[in-house]
Amino acid sequence: MEEPRSAVQSQKEGEGQRAESSTVANAVTDTTARPRERRAPRISDTPPPPAPPPLLQDYAPIIGKSQLDELYFLATAVRGKNVKMVNSTAVGGGVAEMLNRLVPLLDELEVHTRWEVITGGNDFFEVTKSFHNALHGAEYTLTQAAKDVFLQHNELNRQRMSFDEDVIVIHDPQPAGLIASKKDHAARWVWRCHIDLSNPNPDVWSFLKPFVEQYDATIFSSPSFARRLPVPQYLFYPCIDPLSEKNKELEQAYIQGVCDNFGIDCSRPVVTQISRFDRLKDPLGVVQAYKMAKRYVDFQLVLAGGGAADDPEGNAVLQEVNDVVGDDPDVIILNLPPWSALEINAIQRASTLVVQKSLREGFGLTVTEALWKGKPTIASAVGGIPTQIIDRLTGVLVHSVEGCAYQIRYLLTHPEFAQQLGRNGREHVKENFLMTTNVRRWLLLFRILLGAN
Amino acid sequence: MSVSTSSEIATRAATSPFEFKSAANLLRIEREQSRTLGELLRDLHTCPDSSIFQHTFRTLQEHHFIKEGFSNDFAHWSYTEIGAVGLGERLISLDVREFTNIADLRARLEGIVSDFLAQNPRARDQEAVSPFYFCSADTVVVPTEIKAHNIQEFIEGLRAVSVHSIHYHFIEARLRRELETNDFSIWLKRDLGLPGVAARLNQIDIYTSTAEGVRRQILRTLEGPLN
Repeated sequence: MEEPRSAVQSQKEGEGQRAESSTVANAVTDTTARPRERRAPRISDTPPPPAPPPLLQDYAPIIGKSQLDELYFLATAVRGKNVKMVNSTAVGGGVAEMLNRLVPLLDELEVHTRWEVITGGNDFFEVTKSFHNALHGAEYTLTQAAKDVFLQHNELNRQRMSFDEDVIVIHDPQPAGLIASKKDHAARWVWRCHIDLSNPNPDVWSFLKPFVEQYDATIFSSPSFARRLPVPQYLFYPCIDPLSEKNKELEQAYIQGVCDNFGIDCSRPVVTQISRFDRLKDPLGVVQAYKMAKRYVDFQLVLAGGGAADDPEGNAVLQEVNDVVGDDPDVIILNLPPWSALEINAIQRASTLVVQKSLREGFGLTVTEALWKGKPTIASAVGGIPTQIIDRLTGVLVHSVEGCAYQIRYLLTHPEFAQQLGRNGREHVKENFLMTTNVRRWLLLFRILLGAN
Repeated sequence: MSVSTSSEIATRAATSPFEFKSAANLLRIEREQSRTLGELLRDLHTCPDSSIFQHTFRTLQEHHFIKEGFSNDFAHWSYTEIGAVGLGERLISLDVREFTNIADLRARLEGIVSDFLAQNPRARDQEAVSPFYFCSADTVVVPTEIKAHNIQEFIEGLRAVSVHSIHYHFIEARLRRELETNDFSIWLKRDLGLPGVAARLNQIDIYTSTAEGVRRQILRTLEGPLN
């Protein structure tokens, strides 16, 4: 595996004292500040061992006993039932990450859940990757050959698998063709769509729709992602696990250590965007907003993400960002390996504000993470973000670089309002976007499908 | 007429216990999607009762933590996605506690939108920034282990239950019972003989406070007779 490269900007050497600390309420551009010399950070080049999955009781301090009791009650009507969840990959991606947590929790509630992954060759995954992009609106010419590859591999998997469970849940388009087994089994079938289908390529959607319409129920992550279908469509927001490395509480000393390692001065305001180096995340726009806002308020900008190591476009975007930033000592660019969940957690917790100025977005779980940490968040009104950010109540929505710059200025100079946004944002996540909330949704759906409601 | 003392009230046994419950809800996306106020009026007329309930009663529960005030989804959408401030104000003023059935609530909503469009005909076809997606919910009533046999136990129960339980008993009860009251007040009056406390409880303003704030007000109202 390629070693992750440190992407922290080098600093001009100089004498100097640390810039005079400025409080959030008195954020004023300090033109006398001298840049701190920043050393290359220590970044692990191997992933840490995975932490064991939490038990339901571990969530009690977060959601309260009454919510936990509710889960136990809801599970009683479906205790002993069998569920199969099928997706396309066991590692990598949000669906696998979610299933890694969901399956053990359902098992703990005695809803016996088996997770299976479909198999396929490169041809199948190339076709389904193209389908994925096309369903997001990309140009694509659907050929008979592509359809045949999809159908052939779905049929091979269908022959290989059994479907004797009470409920079969198929995640995303790749295994959607497994529905052909429905007629041979008594199970109830659910299609869980994790992607944004608001503007799909019409040919690809026309090809997939007949499969989807055979399911007993479908699930979408947002009403705007859904299609008009003759089957019930349920709303399951994506969720975060508050006990994961990315979201768990951290000791202040650890947070400080991470900031020291990356050269982030915690005594001064920190504005952060956590995202892949990808044009759709608009890191250049964030830098522009930073420069506009910096004329009025003092703060540091952290752009932390990854994916550039193995993505030529990501590399190009990272270079563009470096070029635009130059040697500005108050912009910290971090190209982190995929196993940097704890570091990202620490950076988010150290931040005064979080920004997510994406041009396109799915649901935007980085926003959910920031809200959960009580961080005042400024984000683009795209994808699933407006579901999470109720403008000026749980965060602030923006539509332009100028809007982002203004809100950075405003929130840094109105800390009470910013803190109230942060508090509201956390409650909004607690109400709607936690793993335990999704466990509840699954239990309710199983009850409905199995006639136990 | 004898006057009840605080100690007598504190130990008075209810004729039947209060059993705290809650409700779990699964959201469903409905077919109706409104892109203009004209479409909103149309869809208000045709959407299922459960949608009206979801976007008025239930959304209050979903936004229980917002102290800045959140009334209903229709008001919020009118303000933020259409910019129809006058309509938003009128919709925000809706108090769901005035309604004991969905038909009346639906009629009021339709009336407000219809009146606004009659006064502002050009607003009918103005496109929203993003559509209003009608949803509804499948609900399961969830029992708790918490029962109250007297006012002291009732107060302890109120401290212990979730805000969803408070919402279920204090706000949704109106529709369930088709009465302009709530489960707490009914029990206090009927089973504990405290009509004055019951009436004061029913006057608590749910729109100018968070759900936790409403809980605190309920507790203050109950603790009054005990002091």
